[in-house]
Amino acid sequence: MADDVRRWSDELARDPASLVFLPLGETLRRQGQLDLALKIATRGLERHSHNPDAHDLLARIAVDRGELQRAFDEWDMVLRLTPEHIGALKGMAFVRFQQGNTPEAEQYLQRAAEKNGGGDAEVAAALANMRGAGRGRRDAGPGTGGAPENGAQPASRIPRPAPNDSRALFADILGEHEQTALLLDDQGLVLAGIYVDGSGNDVGDEVGAELSGVTDSARRATRHLDIGEWRAIILETEVAVVTMAPSTADGLLVVAASKATPLGLVRRVLDRCLERARKWLEAAR
Amino acid sequence: MSSSPFASVLAALTRQRGVRASLVVDENDGIVVDSNLQIGQDGDRVAALAASLYRKARLSARAAQLGTATFMQLEAERGRICAAGRNDLVLVVVADPAANIGMIRVEMIKAAGGLP
Repeated sequence: MADDVRRWSDELARDPASLVFLPLGETLRRQGQLDLALKIATRGLERHSHNPDAHDLLARIAVDRGELQRAFDEWDMVLRLTPEHIGALKGMAFVRFQQGNTPEAEQYLQRAAEKNGGGDAEVAAALANMRGAGRGRRDAGPGTGGAPENGAQPASRIPRPAPNDSRALFADILGEHEQTALLLDDQGLVLAGIYVDGSGNDVGDEVGAELSGVTDSARRATRHLDIGEWRAIILETEVAVVTMAPSTADGLLVVAASKATPLGLVRRVLDRCLERARKWLEAAR
Repeated sequence: MSSSPFASVLAALTRQRGVRASLVVDENDGIVVDSNLQIGQDGDRVAALAASLYRKARLSARAAQLGTATFMQLEAERGRICAAGRNDLVLVVVADPAANIGMIRVEMIKAAGGLP
Protein backbone atom coordinates (compact mmCIF):
# COMPACT_ATOMS: atom_id res chain seq x y z
CA MET A 1 0.00 0.00 0.00
CA ALA A 2 2.91 2.33 0.75
CA ASP A 3 4.15 1.62 -2.76
CA ASP A 4 0.77 2.57 -4.19
CA VAL A 5 0.75 5.83 -2.29
CA ARG A 6 4.23 6.63 -3.54
CA ARG A 7 3.34 5.70 -7.11
CA TRP A 8 0.13 7.75 -7.11
CA SER A 9 1.90 10.69 -5.49
CA ASP A 10 4.59 10.59 -8.16
CA GLU A 11 2.01 10.38 -10.91
CA LEU A 12 0.10 13.31 -9.46
CA ALA A 13 3.29 15.32 -9.26
CA ARG A 14 3.97 14.59 -12.91
CA ASP A 15 0.40 15.19 -13.99
CA PRO A 16 -1.67 17.35 -11.60
CA ALA A 17 -4.75 16.72 -13.75
CA SER A 18 -4.54 12.95 -13.22
CA LEU A 19 -7.47 11.17 -11.58
CA VAL A 20 -5.14 9.20 -9.32
CA PHE A 21 -5.97 11.74 -6.65
CA LEU A 22 -9.10 9.63 -6.10
CA PRO A 23 -7.44 6.37 -4.97
CA LEU A 24 -4.65 8.36 -3.31
CA GLY A 25 -7.06 10.46 -1.26
CA GLU A 26 -9.15 7.42 -0.34
CA THR A 27 -6.10 5.46 0.78
CA LEU A 28 -4.84 8.35 2.88
CA ARG A 29 -8.29 8.68 4.39
CA ARG A 30 -8.33 5.01 5.33
CA GLN A 31 -4.88 5.40 6.85
CA GLY A 32 -6.20 8.22 9.01
CA GLN A 33 -4.10 10.91 7.31
CA LEU A 34 -7.09 13.16 7.06
CA ASP A 35 -5.36 16.50 6.60
CA LEU A 36 -3.32 15.19 3.73
CA ALA A 37 -6.30 13.39 2.23
CA LEU A 38 -8.29 16.63 2.40
CA LYS A 39 -5.54 18.53 0.67
CA ILE A 40 -5.32 15.97 -2.12
CA ALA A 41 -9.09 15.83 -2.58
CA THR A 42 -9.51 19.60 -2.56
CA ARG A 43 -6.80 20.08 -5.18
CA GLY A 44 -8.32 17.33 -7.28
CA LEU A 45 -11.73 18.96 -7.09
CA GLU A 46 -10.29 22.23 -8.32
CA ARG A 47 -9.49 20.48 -11.60
CA HIS A 48 -12.44 18.08 -11.66
CA SER A 49 -15.29 20.05 -10.15
CA HIS A 50 -17.92 18.00 -12.02
CA ASN A 51 -16.55 14.62 -11.04
CA PRO A 52 -19.02 12.96 -8.63
CA ASP A 53 -16.35 10.60 -7.27
CA ALA A 54 -14.26 13.60 -6.25
CA HIS A 55 -17.16 15.07 -4.29
CA ASP A 56 -17.85 11.64 -2.80
CA LEU A 57 -14.24 11.40 -1.66
CA LEU A 58 -14.38 14.82 -0.07
CA ALA A 59 -17.60 13.86 1.71
CA ARG A 60 -16.01 10.73 3.17
CA ILE A 61 -13.03 12.71 4.39
CA ALA A 62 -15.33 15.29 5.93
CA VAL A 63 -17.21 12.58 7.84
CA ASP A 64 -13.95 11.22 9.22
CA ARG A 65 -13.05 14.74 10.31
CA GLY A 66 -16.39 15.06 12.08
CA GLU A 67 -17.55 17.71 9.60
CA LEU A 68 -20.99 16.29 9.02
CA GLN A 69 -22.66 19.22 7.32
CA ARG A 70 -19.80 19.62 4.88
CA ALA A 71 -20.07 15.91 4.08
CA PHE A 72 -23.80 16.29 3.49
CA ASP A 73 -23.26 19.20 1.13
CA GLU A 74 -20.69 17.27 -0.87
CA TRP A 75 -22.98 14.25 -1.20
CA ASP A 76 -25.76 16.61 -2.20
CA MET A 77 -23.49 17.77 -5.02
CA VAL A 78 -22.84 14.14 -5.97
CA LEU A 79 -26.60 13.59 -6.30
CA ARG A 80 -26.95 16.66 -8.51
CA LEU A 81 -24.29 15.24 -10.79
CA THR A 82 -25.39 11.60 -10.53
CA PRO A 83 -28.95 11.26 -9.23
CA GLU A 84 -28.62 7.48 -9.03
CA HIS A 85 -25.58 7.55 -6.74
CA ILE A 86 -26.44 5.05 -3.98
CA GLY A 87 -23.35 5.88 -1.94
CA ALA A 88 -24.34 9.52 -1.71
CA LEU A 89 -27.83 8.61 -0.51
CA LYS A 90 -26.41 6.28 2.12
CA GLY A 91 -23.95 8.94 3.20
CA MET A 92 -26.63 11.60 3.50
CA ALA A 93 -28.76 9.19 5.50
CA PHE A 94 -25.82 8.59 7.83
CA VAL A 95 -25.27 12.31 8.35
CA ARG A 96 -28.92 13.02 9.03
CA PHE A 97 -29.04 10.13 11.48
CA GLN A 98 -25.98 11.44 13.29
CA GLN A 99 -27.58 14.87 13.41
CA GLY A 100 -30.63 13.41 15.07
CA ASN A 101 -32.91 13.75 12.05
CA THR A 102 -34.03 10.14 11.81
CA PRO A 103 -37.10 10.74 9.59
CA GLU A 104 -35.00 12.40 6.90
CA ALA A 105 -32.33 9.73 7.28
CA GLU A 106 -35.00 7.12 6.64
CA GLN A 107 -36.10 8.95 3.52
CA TYR A 108 -32.60 8.90 2.06
CA LEU A 109 -32.16 5.23 2.88
CA GLN A 110 -35.54 4.47 1.38
CA ARG A 111 -34.51 6.22 -1.81
CA ALA A 112 -31.28 4.22 -1.84
CA ALA A 113 -33.23 0.99 -1.41
CA GLU A 114 -35.64 1.91 -4.24
CA LYS A 115 -32.88 2.87 -6.64
CA ASN A 116 -31.11 -0.37 -5.93
CA GLY A 117 -34.25 -2.45 -6.36
CA GLY A 118 -34.11 -3.52 -2.72
CA GLY A 119 -31.08 -5.66 -3.45
CA ASP A 120 -28.66 -3.94 -1.10
CA ALA A 121 -28.58 -5.92 2.14
CA GLU A 122 -26.59 -3.20 3.86
CA VAL A 123 -29.22 -0.59 3.04
CA ALA A 124 -32.02 -2.91 4.13
CA ALA A 125 -30.30 -3.64 7.43
CA ALA A 126 -29.52 0.02 8.04
CA LEU A 127 -33.12 0.93 7.29
CA ALA A 128 -34.38 -1.65 9.74
CA ASN A 129 -31.93 -0.55 12.43
CA MET A 130 -32.69 3.10 11.86
CA ARG A 131 -36.40 2.59 12.14
CA GLY A 132 -35.85 0.83 15.45
CA ALA A 133 -33.50 3.51 16.75
CA GLY A 134 -35.65 6.26 15.29
CA ARG A 135 -38.60 5.20 17.35
CA GLY A 136 -36.51 5.64 20.47
CA ARG A 137 -35.31 9.03 19.33
CA ARG A 138 -38.80 10.27 18.60
CA ASP A 139 -40.01 8.92 21.91
CA ALA A 140 -37.36 11.03 23.58
CA GLY A 141 -38.99 14.13 22.17
CA PRO A 142 -37.66 16.98 20.07
CA GLY A 143 -34.34 18.65 20.64
CA THR A 144 -32.12 15.61 20.81
CA GLY A 145 -29.13 16.34 18.71
CA GLY A 146 -29.04 19.04 16.08
CA ALA A 147 -27.52 19.75 12.74
CA PRO A 148 -24.18 21.52 12.91
CA GLU A 149 -24.21 24.55 10.66
CA ASN A 150 -20.63 24.21 9.65
CA GLY A 151 -17.71 21.84 9.79
CA ALA A 152 -16.46 21.10 13.27
CA GLN A 153 -18.86 20.11 16.00
CA PRO A 154 -18.41 22.07 19.19
CA ALA A 155 -19.15 20.15 22.34
CA SER A 156 -22.59 21.63 22.74
CA ARG A 157 -23.58 20.51 19.25
CA ILE A 158 -22.40 16.95 19.43
CA PRO A 159 -25.44 14.71 18.94
CA ARG A 160 -26.90 13.56 22.22
CA PRO A 161 -28.58 10.30 21.41
CA ALA A 162 -31.49 9.16 23.51
CA PRO A 163 -30.56 6.34 25.90
CA ASN A 164 -31.65 3.64 23.51
CA ASP A 165 -29.65 4.95 20.58
CA SER A 166 -26.43 5.71 22.39
CA ARG A 167 -25.06 2.86 20.31
CA ALA A 168 -24.44 5.41 17.59
CA LEU A 169 -22.25 7.63 19.78
CA PHE A 170 -19.01 6.76 18.02
CA ALA A 171 -20.40 5.93 14.59
CA ASP A 172 -19.07 8.96 12.77
CA ILE A 173 -15.61 8.54 14.30
CA LEU A 174 -15.42 4.90 13.37
CA GLY A 175 -16.60 5.64 9.84
CA GLU A 176 -16.38 2.75 7.46
CA HIS A 177 -13.28 1.20 8.95
CA GLU A 178 -13.62 -2.25 10.40
CA GLN A 179 -13.74 -0.81 13.90
CA THR A 180 -16.07 -0.85 16.83
CA ALA A 181 -16.16 1.04 20.10
CA LEU A 182 -17.76 0.48 23.48
CA LEU A 183 -18.00 2.75 26.47
CA LEU A 184 -18.34 0.75 29.68
CA ASP A 185 -19.16 1.87 33.18
CA ASP A 186 -17.17 0.86 36.27
CA GLN A 187 -19.11 -2.41 36.41
CA GLY A 188 -18.33 -3.37 32.84
CA LEU A 189 -21.81 -2.53 31.60
CA VAL A 190 -22.23 -0.90 28.20
CA LEU A 191 -23.06 2.81 28.30
CA ALA A 192 -22.62 3.56 24.63
CA GLY A 193 -21.36 2.06 21.41
CA ILE A 194 -21.99 -1.30 19.89
CA TYR A 195 -20.08 -4.52 19.30
CA VAL A 196 -21.44 -6.78 16.61
CA ASP A 197 -20.07 -10.26 16.10
CA GLY A 198 -19.67 -12.08 12.82
CA SER A 199 -23.29 -13.24 12.95
CA GLY A 200 -24.63 -9.72 13.32
CA ASN A 201 -25.46 -10.07 17.02
CA ASP A 202 -24.74 -7.26 19.44
CA VAL A 203 -22.38 -8.88 21.96
CA GLY A 204 -21.31 -5.65 23.63
CA ASP A 205 -22.38 -6.78 27.09
CA GLU A 206 -20.40 -10.00 26.88
CA VAL A 207 -17.30 -8.37 25.46
CA GLY A 208 -17.51 -5.53 27.95
CA ALA A 209 -17.81 -7.87 30.89
CA GLU A 210 -14.79 -9.86 29.77
CA LEU A 211 -12.50 -6.97 28.93
CA SER A 212 -13.34 -4.71 31.84
CA GLY A 213 -11.71 -7.19 34.20
CA VAL A 214 -8.36 -6.38 32.65
CA THR A 215 -8.42 -2.91 34.15
CA ASP A 216 -8.11 -4.20 37.71
CA SER A 217 -4.95 -6.05 36.78
CA ALA A 218 -3.64 -2.98 34.97
CA ARG A 219 -4.27 -0.75 37.97
CA ARG A 220 -2.60 -3.23 40.30
CA ALA A 221 0.45 -3.61 38.08
CA THR A 222 1.07 0.10 37.55
CA ARG A 223 0.60 0.86 41.22
CA HIS A 224 3.03 -1.79 42.40
CA LEU A 225 5.60 -0.97 39.73
CA ASP A 226 5.30 2.73 40.52
CA ILE A 227 4.91 3.80 36.90
CA GLY A 228 1.92 6.07 37.44
CA GLU A 229 -1.65 5.75 36.26
CA TRP A 230 -2.30 3.52 33.27
CA ARG A 231 -3.31 5.30 30.11
CA ALA A 232 -3.92 2.58 27.57
CA ILE A 233 -3.71 -1.13 26.92
CA ILE A 234 -3.14 -2.36 23.42
CA LEU A 235 -3.83 -6.02 22.88
CA GLU A 236 -3.05 -7.63 19.57
CA THR A 237 -4.63 -10.94 18.70
CA GLU A 238 -4.63 -13.13 15.63
CA VAL A 239 -7.63 -11.31 14.24
CA ALA A 240 -7.93 -7.98 15.98
CA VAL A 241 -6.30 -5.04 17.67
CA VAL A 242 -8.06 -4.05 20.88
CA THR A 243 -7.24 -0.82 22.66
CA MET A 244 -8.58 0.13 26.04
CA ALA A 245 -8.30 3.34 28.00
CA PRO A 246 -9.74 4.58 31.28
CA SER A 247 -12.68 6.90 30.84
CA THR A 248 -14.55 9.29 33.09
CA ALA A 249 -15.83 7.96 36.44
CA ASP A 250 -13.78 4.75 36.37
CA GLY A 251 -15.30 3.79 33.06
CA LEU A 252 -13.51 2.04 30.26
CA LEU A 253 -13.43 2.73 26.57
CA VAL A 254 -12.73 -0.19 24.27
CA VAL A 255 -11.95 0.19 20.58
CA ALA A 256 -11.46 -2.93 18.49
CA ALA A 257 -10.34 -3.04 14.91
CA SER A 258 -9.39 -5.66 12.41
CA LYS A 259 -5.80 -6.85 12.48
CA ALA A 260 -5.23 -5.07 9.17
CA THR A 261 -5.84 -1.66 10.72
CA PRO A 262 -2.63 0.26 11.43
CA LEU A 263 -1.94 0.57 15.17
CA GLY A 264 -1.46 4.32 14.86
CA LEU A 265 -4.89 4.71 13.35
CA VAL A 266 -6.50 2.66 16.12
CA ARG A 267 -4.81 4.85 18.73
CA ARG A 268 -6.05 7.96 16.98
CA VAL A 269 -9.59 6.59 16.93
CA LEU A 270 -9.28 5.68 20.61
CA ASP A 271 -8.28 9.24 21.49
CA ARG A 272 -11.16 10.70 19.51
CA CYS A 273 -13.65 8.29 21.06
CA LEU A 274 -12.32 9.14 24.53
CA GLU A 275 -12.94 12.82 23.91
CA ARG A 276 -16.40 12.09 22.57
CA ALA A 277 -17.19 9.91 25.58
CA ARG A 278 -15.99 12.58 27.99
CA LYS A 279 -18.21 15.23 26.45
CA TRP A 280 -21.16 12.88 26.21
CA LEU A 281 -20.87 11.88 29.86
CA GLU A 282 -20.54 15.51 30.91
CA ALA A 283 -23.63 16.42 28.93
CA ALA A 284 -25.54 13.52 30.43
CA ARG A 285 -24.90 14.67 33.98
CA MET B 1 24.31 -12.74 33.99
CA SER B 2 22.03 -15.65 33.29
CA SER B 3 23.16 -18.59 31.17
CA SER B 4 19.80 -20.19 30.45
CA PRO B 5 18.43 -20.84 26.95
CA PHE B 6 16.75 -17.44 27.18
CA ALA B 7 19.87 -15.46 28.02
CA SER B 8 20.59 -14.19 24.53
CA VAL B 9 16.96 -13.22 23.91
CA LEU B 10 16.78 -11.31 27.17
CA ALA B 11 20.11 -9.64 26.58
CA ALA B 12 19.00 -8.51 23.12
CA LEU B 13 15.82 -7.03 24.52
CA THR B 14 17.58 -5.28 27.36
CA ARG B 15 19.95 -3.66 24.88
CA GLN B 16 16.99 -1.80 23.35
CA ARG B 17 16.89 1.84 24.37
CA GLY B 18 14.74 2.48 27.43
CA VAL B 19 14.30 -1.14 28.50
CA ARG B 20 14.59 -1.52 32.26
CA ALA B 21 13.90 -5.21 32.58
CA SER B 22 13.20 -8.26 30.49
CA LEU B 23 11.99 -11.54 31.86
CA VAL B 24 10.68 -14.94 30.90
CA VAL B 25 7.84 -15.82 33.22
CA ASP B 26 5.62 -18.82 33.79
CA GLU B 27 2.18 -17.47 32.97
CA ASN B 28 0.33 -19.75 35.36
CA ASP B 29 2.14 -18.98 38.59
CA GLY B 30 4.04 -15.80 37.72
CA ILE B 31 7.38 -17.30 38.67
CA VAL B 32 10.49 -15.98 36.97
CA VAL B 33 12.14 -18.49 34.63
CA ASP B 34 14.93 -16.13 33.65
CA SER B 35 15.49 -12.40 33.78
CA ASN B 36 17.76 -9.56 32.84
CA LEU B 37 17.14 -6.66 35.19
CA GLN B 38 18.57 -3.26 35.81
CA ILE B 39 19.68 -2.50 39.33
CA GLY B 40 16.73 -1.67 41.53
CA GLN B 41 14.15 -3.77 39.71
CA ASP B 42 12.32 -6.39 41.73
CA GLY B 43 12.08 -9.26 39.28
CA ASP B 44 9.66 -11.37 41.26
CA ARG B 45 7.19 -8.54 41.63
CA VAL B 46 7.44 -7.52 37.97
CA ALA B 47 7.00 -11.12 36.89
CA ALA B 48 3.96 -11.80 39.01
CA LEU B 49 2.16 -8.61 38.04
CA ALA B 50 2.97 -8.77 34.35
CA ALA B 51 2.08 -12.44 34.07
CA SER B 52 -1.21 -11.83 35.83
CA LEU B 53 -2.04 -8.93 33.54
CA TYR B 54 -1.12 -10.81 30.39
CA ARG B 55 -3.04 -13.88 31.46
CA LYS B 56 -6.12 -11.81 32.20
CA ALA B 57 -5.88 -10.00 28.88
CA ARG B 58 -5.33 -13.21 26.97
CA LEU B 59 -8.26 -15.00 28.56
CA SER B 60 -10.50 -11.99 28.17
CA ALA B 61 -9.67 -11.70 24.49
CA ARG B 62 -10.39 -15.34 23.98
CA ALA B 63 -13.68 -15.14 25.87
CA ALA B 64 -14.61 -12.12 23.76
CA GLN B 65 -13.95 -14.25 20.67
CA LEU B 66 -11.07 -12.04 19.60
CA GLY B 67 -8.70 -14.93 19.03
CA THR B 68 -5.33 -15.77 20.51
CA ALA B 69 -3.37 -12.86 21.97
CA THR B 70 -0.01 -12.22 20.33
CA PHE B 71 1.20 -9.06 22.02
CA MET B 72 0.08 -6.79 24.83
CA GLN B 73 1.28 -3.36 25.77
CA LEU B 74 0.27 -1.32 28.79
CA GLU B 75 1.07 2.37 28.73
CA ALA B 76 1.34 4.28 31.96
CA GLU B 77 2.50 7.76 32.90
CA ARG B 78 6.04 6.71 33.69
CA GLY B 79 6.53 3.43 31.93
CA ARG B 80 5.30 0.61 29.76
CA ILE B 81 4.82 -3.09 30.26
CA CYS B 82 4.97 -5.29 27.18
CA ALA B 83 4.22 -8.99 27.04
CA ALA B 84 4.18 -11.67 24.39
CA GLY B 85 3.52 -15.30 25.16
CA ARG B 86 3.58 -18.77 23.83
CA ASN B 87 2.27 -21.88 25.50
CA ASP B 88 2.76 -21.25 29.23
CA LEU B 89 5.66 -18.83 28.98
CA VAL B 90 5.47 -15.07 28.72
CA LEU B 91 8.19 -12.74 27.63
CA VAL B 92 7.89 -9.50 29.61
CA VAL B 93 9.59 -6.16 29.12
CA VAL B 94 9.36 -3.11 31.35
CA ALA B 95 10.41 0.05 29.54
CA ASP B 96 10.54 3.81 29.85
CA PRO B 97 7.84 5.89 28.16
CA ALA B 98 10.38 7.12 25.60
CA ALA B 99 11.52 3.63 24.60
CA ASN B 100 11.30 2.63 20.95
CA ILE B 101 8.24 0.49 21.33
CA GLY B 102 8.14 -0.44 17.67
CA MET B 103 11.53 -2.11 17.83
CA ILE B 104 10.76 -3.74 21.16
CA ARG B 105 7.50 -5.12 19.81
CA VAL B 106 9.17 -6.63 16.76
CA GLU B 107 11.91 -8.21 18.88
CA MET B 108 9.43 -9.58 21.40
CA ILE B 109 7.09 -11.13 18.85
CA LYS B 110 10.05 -12.71 17.11
CA ALA B 111 11.47 -13.97 20.40
CA ALA B 112 8.11 -15.24 21.65
CA GLY B 113 7.87 -17.38 18.53
CA GLY B 114 10.99 -19.16 19.69
CA LEU B 115 9.75 -19.95 23.19
CA PRO B 116 9.39 -23.71 23.82
